[in-house]
Amino acid sequence: MTSISEQLSDALGIMVMGMGLVFIFLSILIIGIGIVAKLFPPSVEVPTLATVSSNATEHTVLDPKLVAAITSAIHQYRAK
Amino acid sequence: MEGLLAFWAETGVANFTGGQLLMMAVGCLLLFLAIIKGFEPLLLLPIGFGAILANIPNAGFTDEGGLLYYAYHVGIETGVFPLLIFMGVGALTDFGALIANPKTLLLGAAAQFGIFSTLIGAIALNWVPGFEFSMQDAAAIAIIGGADGPTAIFLASKLAPELLGAIAVAAYSYMALVPLIQPPIMKLLTTKAEREIKMEQLREVSKKEKIIFPLMVLGLTILFLPAATPLIGMFCLGNLMRESGVVDRLSKTAQNELINIVTIFLGLAVGSKLSADQFLRIETLGILILGAVAFSIGTASGVLMAKLMSKLSGGKINPLIGAAGVSAVPMAARVVNKVGLEANNQNFLLMHAMGPNVAGVLGSAVAAGVLLAVLG
Repeated sequence: MTSISEQLSDALGIMVMGMGLVFIFLSILIIGIGIVAKLFPPSVEVPTLATVSSNATEHTVLDPKLVAAITSAIHQYRAK
Repeated sequence: MEGLLAFWAETGVANFTGGQLLMMAVGCLLLFLAIIKGFEPLLLLPIGFGAILANIPNAGFTDEGGLLYYAYHVGIETGVFPLLIFMGVGALTDFGALIANPKTLLLGAAAQFGIFSTLIGAIALNWVPGFEFSMQDAAAIAIIGGADGPTAIFLASKLAPELLGAIAVAAYSYMALVPLIQPPIMKLLTTKAEREIKMEQLREVSKKEKIIFPLMVLGLTILFLPAATPLIGMFCLGNLMRESGVVDRLSKTAQNELINIVTIFLGLAVGSKLSADQFLRIETLGILILGAVAFSIGTASGVLMAKLMSKLSGGKINPLIGAAGVSAVPMAARVVNKVGLEANNQNFLLMHAMGPNVAGVLGSAVAAGVLLAVLG
């Protein structure tokens, strides 16, 4: 049976090594992700589609006449 | 008359011991937490019921030949159940947020400090009379700080099977208590200005990146940490099934039916370890305390690392997301989002917190692999 202080120093060793290994492992992964991101960037089509659709939604949102028409229609329907 | 006596000798009333009644009360408490409080009901309900079943006198559920005996023997002693759950978790996990902002992996790494510092805490507890944790026991207890149920059960079944019941209960209880434990620590370590930091929208991630990611993680594990391949391998298999898009049927099964079936038996088998003679010991109290400490330190170190990264990046990172570095997916990320919204009601951090959150799953699996490699 080893003494508690000896065990503690063992535990400290495992802590330093463990944290080191976890950081090294995940850091290598960060580099890996970076390389893969360079090799296979997202296709260009996706962002253009996204901007087109966001333009479309902006357009409908910014049309106050249409909003007013819908609101008044709802009010009339509810009033019945 | 003799028949009646024989019958009486077989009833539960005649055979109850105080410990069994107490453990049934513990089982009922877990059922209460699951049903009324909604704490991790998917696991605490079967665990609580398993605890009740395991303490019925003369029922023989946990004796050789009993259902719970086999559930434990086949599923947990071998490590199969936690690994199947890990595959399901892999199939449920979207690494998009992490791939878009890979630096958050460092947060998932920093939060593992909770695990390793508790290793020292558990050994230091040996100074208190009544505690005799070996290094293996200490490692199995410390992994509670990873806030990852399957990882904790897997490691405990390999390193300290006799402590498994208490460790599993502590791990799942603290995961359920994330919304209570984390916010005070997060607020203590950050200023209001830091909590209000808004983060840039994440970039798009291509399908190829998502498919290559699990393969790359597996490759690294094979090269550097084979001891972690059971956990990370199953996790990557689940994730590849999800992202490849060619085996939707398998991916759906892993995410739903399979993980559900395994969860039922995993819960029951863990509950079967809550028998009076194994649970009603001073060690259990120590495990519950150490688990809470591990969890708090993990949260704090994640937040501190995020603060450092925030300073280095010139205030582009909200330090709150560091708290999601402990796994507890997706609860920890939701808590980050909530605390962020409290500081600034326009600040949605959920997607940013998912990066460190899934990084925490990888980080705790790597930490478990390190402990297994050194002490297994």
